[in-house]
Order: sequence, then C-alpha cells, then structure tokens
Amino acid sequence: MRPAFPAFHPLSSLLFPAALLTGGLLVGSLSQAQVVASVSEKDFLSDMPIVLSVSRLPQRLDETPGAVTILDRDMIRNSGARDVADLLRLVPGFQVSNAFESVAPLVSYHGAFGDYSNRLELQIDGRSAYSPYFIGSIGPGLQSVALEDIERIEVLRGSNSASYGARAILGVINIVTRDTANTLGVQGAITVGDNGIRDTQARLGWGDWRGTFRLTADTREDDGLAGANGQNRVSRINFRSDIRANGSDEVQVRLGALKIDSGRGTAGNIGDPLRPFAFESSYAQLDYKRILNANEDVALKLSHTQERYTDVFPVYLRQWKPVFAANDFIPVSANGTASSDVVTVQHTLRNSDVVRLVWGGELRSERIQSQALYNTQSVFVNDFTRLFGNVEWCVAKNWLFNIGALAEHSSDTGDTVAPRLMLNWHLTPGHTLRAGISKAYRPPSNFESYADVRYFWHGLQLLQTAHGSSQLRAEELVSKELGYLGEFPDWRMALDARLFDEKIDNFMRITNQAPKTYLNDEDFAIRGFEYQLRWQPWQGAQVVLSQTRTNITTVQPGDALAAPKLASTISYVHSLPGQVTLTLARTDSSRWASFGGNEDDAQATRRTDLRLAKGLRWGTRRGEVALVVQNMGSAYRDYQKEFLFQKQAYLTLRLDD
Amino acid sequence: MSITLRSLLVTLTLGVLGTGVWAQASSQPSRVVIVSSDSAPAYTQTAEALTDHLVRQGIARTDIAQSLAADLAVRLKSGQPPRPTVYVALGSEATQLLVAAGTQTPVLSALIPRSSFERIVRSQGKTVSARLSAIYLDQPLARQLALVRLALPQVRRLGVLWGSESADRATGLRPLVAANGLDLQETMVTQPDDLPLALAQVLAGSDVLLALADPAIYNSNTLQNILMSSFRARVPLVAFSPAYVRAGAVLALYTTPLQAGQQAAELVLGVLRGKPLPDHVLEPNDFEVGVNAQVAHVLDLTLDAQALRLALRRLERLP
Repeated sequence: MRPAFPAFHPLSSLLFPAALLTGGLLVGSLSQAQVVASVSEKDFLSDMPIVLSVSRLPQRLDETPGAVTILDRDMIRNSGARDVADLLRLVPGFQVSNAFESVAPLVSYHGAFGDYSNRLELQIDGRSAYSPYFIGSIGPGLQSVALEDIERIEVLRGSNSASYGARAILGVINIVTRDTANTLGVQGAITVGDNGIRDTQARLGWGDWRGTFRLTADTREDDGLAGANGQNRVSRINFRSDIRANGSDEVQVRLGALKIDSGRGTAGNIGDPLRPFAFESSYAQLDYKRILNANEDVALKLSHTQERYTDVFPVYLRQWKPVFAANDFIPVSANGTASSDVVTVQHTLRNSDVVRLVWGGELRSERIQSQALYNTQSVFVNDFTRLFGNVEWCVAKNWLFNIGALAEHSSDTGDTVAPRLMLNWHLTPGHTLRAGISKAYRPPSNFESYADVRYFWHGLQLLQTAHGSSQLRAEELVSKELGYLGEFPDWRMALDARLFDEKIDNFMRITNQAPKTYLNDEDFAIRGFEYQLRWQPWQGAQVVLSQTRTNITTVQPGDALAAPKLASTISYVHSLPGQVTLTLARTDSSRWASFGGNEDDAQATRRTDLRLAKGLRWGTRRGEVALVVQNMGSAYRDYQKEFLFQKQAYLTLRLDD
Repeated sequence: MSITLRSLLVTLTLGVLGTGVWAQASSQPSRVVIVSSDSAPAYTQTAEALTDHLVRQGIARTDIAQSLAADLAVRLKSGQPPRPTVYVALGSEATQLLVAAGTQTPVLSALIPRSSFERIVRSQGKTVSARLSAIYLDQPLARQLALVRLALPQVRRLGVLWGSESADRATGLRPLVAANGLDLQETMVTQPDDLPLALAQVLAGSDVLLALADPAIYNSNTLQNILMSSFRARVPLVAFSPAYVRAGAVLALYTTPLQAGQQAAELVLGVLRGKPLPDHVLEPNDFEVGVNAQVAHVLDLTLDAQALRLALRRLERLP
C-alpha cells in the first residue's frame, strides 16, 4: 500500500490539551492588561480592520445556485427533536428513519435507496462528516453535534457536487455551529421521559475578544423503536475555539469525539442475531482565514477524522449444519477502522458588483482497514484531488448566473467533472425564478468495489457472503430544476417551490444472489415537485407547510418505493403570553419503505408531535421547561415492518447562566 | 503602505512649515494658528480645508500658520508664544494644550468629540465662552435617530451598548428614542469581559444597533465580534465613522475632515472680521452618510447614501 499523505494522526490527542491551555493563557493574560481609554477623535478617525469581507458575506437565498431550506435555532428548539436526523423530516423531500439498525438514524433526499445515507454530503462547519466505512453514510455524522450547539442547518436540496464533490450527488446538509462568542457562560439541560429517554447536556463557554471557547458534552439515550434491539446511547464531546489574532484574521480549532452504543439484529436469526455494536469517531479541525481586503479572502482548512466500528458475535455452527459439534463457532465481525485527512485552500474574490468568484483545491486521503469486510489486513487508501470553482456573475440587473464545476481525481476510481449552471432571475423585488442543470457522479465506495466477506473454520473457508465488483462504473446524475422564491409581505407569506427532474444512470444496487455483490443496474429518474410555504397569520404565530410529490421510475420488482409519492408536513408554532410556546407538527406520507426495504415493509407514515414550553427567568439567568409528545397517534413502521415508532413523551429542563 | 508614506510626508511638511512660519513669526505674526494634535491625514486634511476656505475668502496664506501640538508646547514653554488673533485646535491634545496654557487668544476647538471637550473644559476649570468654543466631531443624537428612521423604517427596537465613556448620553437619548416611536434596548457594559454577553442580550432584543463612540466597547479588537454577531442576528449596525462602514457596518453618519475644516473656517473668518466666537458649542453642520452596499445587499436592504444625506439635510432645513 502506498503511504498515506499528510501524517497528522495524533492531532486530536495533541491539540486538545494545547488548545485548552491556550484558552486559559489568553484569558489569564487579558485581565492584567486592561486600560480604560477615553473617547478621543481617534475613535472617529482611525482605520478599522475589515470584518465582513467577501467570504464572510454569504449568498442571499434568492441568489444561491439551488434550493436551500434553513432550520434556525428557534425551529430546532420548537421542533422538540432530540437529534438532527429527526429534525430533517421538516425539510421538503426528506425521508427519515429513527432506527439505529444501520449504525445511526438515517436520512435521505428523494429516495432511501439503501441501508446507508450515502448520496448526501454532510458538512459540519466545513468539515465533511461523511463516514467512508461500509458503503458511506452520513448517519453517524448527524449524531456528532449537540443540538444546543447548532446555530442553523442549511439543507441544499438538490445535487451539489459542483461545490461539494461526489457525495453531494443528491444534496448537502450543512450544519453551522454557534460562534463561541455567543455561547459564553454555563448551560445545562436534562431530558427524561417514556421509552427510557434520558438525555443530558452541559456546556461551558469562556473567553474574551482575543478568543472564545466552548466545551460541550452531552448524551442521548433511549430504548429505541419497539421491536428493535434498542438501548441506544450516543455520547459526544465537542470543543471549539475562535481565536482572533487581530481584527481581521481568524483561527478556529475544533475537536470532538462521538460514541454510539446500540444494538442491532433479529431474535432467532443466526446470521444477524440480537447483539450490541459500537461506533466511535473523533476529529480535529483547524481553520485559518485571512482577509486580504474587503473583496478578497483566503482560507485554509486542515482536518483529521477517524472512526472505528465494533460489531462481533459468534455463530454456533451446529445451528447451520448438524455435522459440527455444539461448541464449534466462528466469530462473525464487521469490525474495522477508517480515517480521513483533508487539506483545503479556498480563495474568494469579488470584482465590483458584477462578479464573485470562489475557487480552490482540496487534497483528501481516506483509509479503510477491515479484515472482516475485505479479508485482508491491508489498508485501502483512496486519495482525492479536487479543484473547484464557482462564479456568481450578475450579467444584467436582476439576472444572476452561477457557473461552477468541481473536478475530482480519485486514485481509486479515476476522474470526474461535475459542472453546474444556474440562472436566478429576480422578476420583481421578492420574486425570483431559478432554472438550472447540473451533472454529478457517485463513484463506487470501497465496499461496493472491494468487499470480500469470508468465514473460515480452522483455515477452511466455509462461506463467502459478499464480494465487491471492480467492474462498477460511477453512478451518473443529470439534474434539472426550476425553482421559485416568493415573498408576499401583505399576506405575511413566503413560498419556496422546486420542480425537479433527476436522472440517474448506472444506479448501483446490491444483488440478492449469494454471495451478494453490487452491479450497475437500471437507469431511472426521480421527478417531482416540492414546496414550502411559510405563513405568519398573526403576531407570534407561524405555520409552515411542506409538500413533496415524488415519482421514481425504477421498475425493480419487489422493491418498495424509496420515497413516498406524496409527503406533507405542517407545523404550527404559537408564542403565548408568559413565555409559553406551543408547537404542533404533523407529518403524513404515503406508502414507502425505508432504506432498501421491500414492498412488505412499505407503510404510510403519520405522526403528530406536540411541544409545550415555558421560558423561565430569574435575574439574569434563563431557562426553559418543555414537554414533548411525539407521535400522539398510533405507532407507525420505521425501517422495517417489525419496528414501530410508538408514542413517547418527555420533559426537558434547560438552564442558562 | 501609502498611508504610512503620506503621514511621513505630511509630518515632514508640517515640520518644515512650522519652522518656516515660526521663523518669520517674529517679524509678521500669523493671525490664525492651526494646531494639530497629530500628523495623521485627517488632521492635515482638516487644516488644508480650513486654510483653503480662508484663502478663498480673502485671507492671505501668510496669515495662517500650522503647527503640531508637540511643537507648540515647546514654543510655549520657551516663553515665545505666537500671538495670533485666533487659535484653531484640531483634536484633543491640541485643545488640552491651549486650554491649559491659559492663553488670552480665543481658541476654537474642532475635530473633537463632545466628551473629550467636556472633559478638558471640566478638568481645567474653564467654561465655554467667546474665548473657548468648539465644533463637535460627533453627530447630534437626533440626527442619528433621524437617519435610522429614514434608512430603516421597519425598525422598532433600537439597541445601544453603553460604556463608561458613553453612558452620560443615555439621558439625552431616551426621550429622543421615545419621540421617534422606538423602543430602546440598552445594556451597560461595565467591564470588557461583559461585552460578549451584553452584546448577545442587546442583539436579541433589537432591530438595529446604534454604535456610539466608546473605546471600551468599539475598538479594533472588539469590532470583529460585534460586526459578526450583529450580522448573524441580521441586526444592522449604524456607526459613526467611514472606517466602520468599510469594516462591515451597514450605515454610518460622520463629518469628513473637509466638512469640519470648512465649518471651522466660517467661525475663524468671523473672528478675523471682529465677531466673537459663539459662546456655545456647535454641532457639525455638514455630514456624510456611508453605506456598505454589499452588507446591505445581503441583509436585503436598499440604501442610497446620497439620497439619505439629502433627506436628512432637508429634515434639518440645512441648505
């Protein structure tokens, strides 16, 4: 195997105490160095560092090259959701499962085609949290941040490989955590409820203008879906520091670790029995941004992520064939590790009001090692080299083009170029039409290409259950869309609508033969229409209605629809006097089966959630007590037909210092 | 780089000018002496604008001398003070020097914030009179509120952070805010460590943040946090200097050195023609509105700096 590039594995262990120490030193030194200055003409006449430079000014929603749904802190809190996956059911076009059967709850956009969420990219503060283990998944990544630390979640609905690479073939979830300057002080929360729900969270924020820091630790615990091998426990710790060397430049260090302990399997299934499993991951991320002037910035990003999956159980061979003795067994395992190292450089440039350019490069090295899945001790190394660029070009007043592309070289799967062209036309103030086309690829994952799962007994191969296919071609997607964004201030309404046609060629599918393998199956299209309507009927009230019509033209016999033909979500938030907030949310979708299920598993999903919260205040301290009842109606199927999401209620107490 | 070079050149020029003027001062005393606290471009631009305006009104260039406060201090100490008809002190240091020197010559202080001037007058036991007057650098609060109302008509809640240097303006601001139909969300920041929390509180309850000069709150170190936080909260920052607009404030209301110089020239001209200085302080009579178009665009605000300036002038019935 080739040596992997940048070798900074011990980063997390080295940086963590170092960063904490830096935080302590900065805070310590400041208190001695305070001089009270008087107002003088210098306050009016001196120059100031540029803060809101070109890359710090995001694109407006009506200028983005695609549809974006933003979940802000109020929405996150009012939803009553306990994790990000559950929250994403509020986004048009999303399918969500709460099962931990595929390591962590899964989400998909426009179709849950497999056991893992591998056609969406997940970025947390600019770091890809896409797990390369198995066939790729963002499920574990979605569990890696405490909800309380999230500023907002930007969901880029639709293919975004032109900005984010192959994994963004159907969309991107961008989690932006809160600036540490906004989370100073101490905060804690505890949640208890039905179904073994017990969540705890504690946060400490400190610092001053030179640097601010945050340490958050939290756990999320429940007994999971009825019928599933429950007791899910997610534990995580995250540290973030924002260091302001001077007014303009900015250094951020982020460190974190996640552990998911859960169970999977089915009683009585010798190949997939009830057993516990564990997923652990940790990361270190360093960001540096230099503002060259108001129109030009450069940013450098380094990150290291590693993960380990532990899932092993014995299969007693007599259950399989009577010729074996009662004690003869083989260990069945999916144990393994994966890691990734990334360096990204990005340059943002504005040339007058007409053109804004973002371009850069990324080197990304991923390593996967698993004797169990690949029948080798060797490490699979996949190096990606990416060059990307996007030009925002205002060709005429009210006409904005976004022209972008990402060229990717994978040492494993070769070269691809994902281009995108999007036109935003501001018809009148508050009304924007968007039309565009993009092309994207998803090269086969390591497992799809190289899986080699074999079982031996005293050196003798008994069975091979999976083998990858080196002949696989990348999935190709051509996506066309028409969008409309409208604001109707007189009616206190805003509308975001999207008509889409996503054509997938060379779709990769697992076969049912033994041993299982992957092949490029049919070509099909996902077509449909989705919209989200926001309405504030009166002061303190908000109604959000989302609907998605999806038509997937796949003809695979026996397979259920990977997305419901019609899915609707309506939520109502009402602020009452006395800091009381009431939220009612209803999800209703026609039959679909989650994540690779067959027709038998398909079921309509109907769920109604209620949240009643009361803000608390004494002196400068604040808090909240909230009661949430999820799924007030009857239980619905989730992930497979034996698993049920039942009614559950829980109470949260949150205190801020 | 260019600014450094320019300051250097200006320093040299001032130095040369100063010596030159003083050299001939004994034979033909200057009628106007402009004393600058510093050699930064703002002071020289003000001095130039003042001089040009006077020259245009028929005052001979040789009647106008310029000096740095530090050079004048040396001269005062040596017992050979210039004896002009009027001093113009640009900035706090020059004002402090002339007030402390107890000169009998009328002193007009310009390019000076209200609180600096008040502090100097108080500490020297002086009062504002025809022998000591000032044109403030900071804008009247009423004008700042009028700008907020004109530029951001949808705003209902005005946020202000008070520090020890600015808190005495609260009593002046409160009735104005109410008169403009706004609610005031104010927080006192007693020590720098409290700033981030105070900022978060104010932003949570405001539609606009009005910045009033106070180095304990607004300085080059804190600006990043303040601007980033207000931008994230979609609360526009209305500031008091063009540097803040370049840095990322949506709006600023300020007087340029040129405008300050011209206003000072009018008063100096009066003195030269035998009128006394006004026995009260003056607010700046001209100003600019600065707009950061990019930030305004992202915040979905349509702002026209020139139109706002003209509208403000019309409101105040200024020519």
